Amino acid sequence: MGAVHLAYEVVDSQLVDRHEQKIGRVDALLLEAEPGKPLRVATIVIGAAARARRVGGWFAATRRALRALAGIRAEHESRIPFSAVRRIGDTIQLDVEERALESEHFERWLGDHVICRIPGASGASK
Amino acid sequence: MSTRTIALCDLLGRTVRDTNGTSIGRIEELNAEIDLHGDGNDYVVTSVSVGRFGVLDVIATGRFVQHLGRRLARLTGYARSEIPWDWLDFGDPARPRLLRAAHELSRDG
Amino acid sequence: MKKWGEIALGVVTSIGGFLEVGSIATSVQGGAIFHFQLAWVLVLGTASLAFLMEMTGRLAAVSRRTYADLLRERFGYRFFVVPLLAVFIVSLLVLTSEIGGVAIALQLATGIAFRWWAIPIALIGWLLLWRGTFSIVEQGTAMLGLVALTFAVGAVKLHPDWGTLGRALLPSTPSRDSARYWYIAVSMLGASISPYLYLFYSAGAIEDAWTIEYLSVNRITAGLGNLFGGGLAIAALVTAALVFEPRGIQVDRYEQIALVLATPLGRAGLVLFIATLCITCFGSTLEIALAIAYLLAQGFGWQWSENLKPGKDARFSTSYTVLIVLAAVPIALGADPLQLTNLSMVVTAASLPVTVIPLLVLMNDGDVLDTHVNGWISNTALVVIALLSVVLLVAALPLQLLGGG
Repeated sequence: MGAVHLAYEVVDSQLVDRHEQKIGRVDALLLEAEPGKPLRVATIVIGAAARARRVGGWFAATRRALRALAGIRAEHESRIPFSAVRRIGDTIQLDVEERALESEHFERWLGDHVICRIPGASGASK
Repeated sequence: MSTRTIALCDLLGRTVRDTNGTSIGRIEELNAEIDLHGDGNDYVVTSVSVGRFGVLDVIATGRFVQHLGRRLARLTGYARSEIPWDWLDFGDPARPRLLRAAHELSRDG
Repeated sequence: MKKWGEIALGVVTSIGGFLEVGSIATSVQGGAIFHFQLAWVLVLGTASLAFLMEMTGRLAAVSRRTYADLLRERFGYRFFVVPLLAVFIVSLLVLTSEIGGVAIALQLATGIAFRWWAIPIALIGWLLLWRGTFSIVEQGTAMLGLVALTFAVGAVKLHPDWGTLGRALLPSTPSRDSARYWYIAVSMLGASISPYLYLFYSAGAIEDAWTIEYLSVNRITAGLGNLFGGGLAIAALVTAALVFEPRGIQVDRYEQIALVLATPLGRAGLVLFIATLCITCFGSTLEIALAIAYLLAQGFGWQWSENLKPGKDARFSTSYTVLIVLAAVPIALGADPLQLTNLSMVVTAASLPVTVIPLLVLMNDGDVLDTHVNGWISNTALVVIALLSVVLLVAALPLQLLGGG
């Protein structure tokens, strides 16, 4: 097993679940630092807050302020242990179910409350 | 044992300085491998790639400029070093330190 | 054998797809004021687009990822936000103009003011995207878009001086009205080289499951398709030059533009113009709505495909739904479609660097393209286009102020 290039191959790569469903991209990668030990690749983070932080502290702060103003409190973020990685290639496959992911909350909400109300939205295939 | 959590993106693009405070370049990449001594599932960072981007060094904090610097290697005098994990101290993630002097690094074009 | 069918389809799609409200409006306005002189700008724009489409198509075929995917994956989220915002805003503006184009066509056909057509157009467009597959959208607009060939017929019937036209294909400077000349040149380039075009093309390559075997299909489609498409834009310019310029008619309303085909082809010409405007703009409406939705979905990693039922890619489907309705609003409120078109073309031209310059890096990246990285021809073309895009960015605002209608 060769070396994994964390910036090149992991961060911002497309994530898929057990069934090859797209579940977002690696928005942040968390490492654990223990004195005297190499950095451990710990957690994959999928979420808008993590993305906002990458743009800049000012951007993340503005976003928080606007959301507070609008009364939105819930942050739908998924933190997945790196041990869930099954395959690193064109996409990174995780041993998770799309249904179980907090970060897919909006997708599910739209699907259940909006899309399904409109005819022609579900069924076998187009 | 104090375990700290560091976001990868907070490390990328940081300037690494040696024991004398000399800059040896910016963090381009962290290379991880499976730790065979653990439960076999853990990836640990075994080496860090640090790049010198010449003229572009001042703005090479992001991946785009780093890409550009690598493409224009001949013009910018781009040079890269692979540093083993135990030569680096991430006590202050914003200021990674090389635990050796700059001249001890081997250059990989 | 199947590949030839795909090439033919791709070429036909590009022919009909090239002409839309931007190219029609700018080519006709350009021909009306400066005769054949601006034809070289269309050559430059068409050639640039051909190269850009071939490249983003190659990216998709080799790396199995779209240009939007790679913009995020290779350069990180912080960089990606810049082209994301630029393309989103600019493309939404163009989308509004396209809906305006369809609305004007329907106004010319029925006499009912264009404002009332905005929402119905958006709803029908939405319905087609909701129920249709990528092939249906692609093939439907391609076949119907062939009505744009009317311009070629009209141009030939007017017996243009082929010598003068030939000379006009080479760059020239204006003898009068410099600001206006360069303003129209910039808007023509914005109409020809629109980011949504090569972003959509890249996504389409993935929808059609292109692989490395499709590289020659890609090259022929991008080359021939744009050659013919550009030829149609030049035909529109020629027609306008021979109909309006001798009479000194300044074209500043769509009702006047509509007469451009009436001289060579009589009443049929007017009907065909209306059909051309309506169909090509409608096709572009679908394409742009999809292109922006693709950009969002691919950038954020959502499930996406026009071939999936909307329930399976909720955020993607919601995106194009919201976009198409949002874009209809300014037209419904009565915004002048022609002014909107001219503005959106200049803004498009100014936005080019953020989607052209990253290609300079990507097309030479061996990790992405393997052995299919750019050769010296493609790289030279790309550098020229990149420099052009920077010139356009710098010149756009001054020209809008000095030469804008």
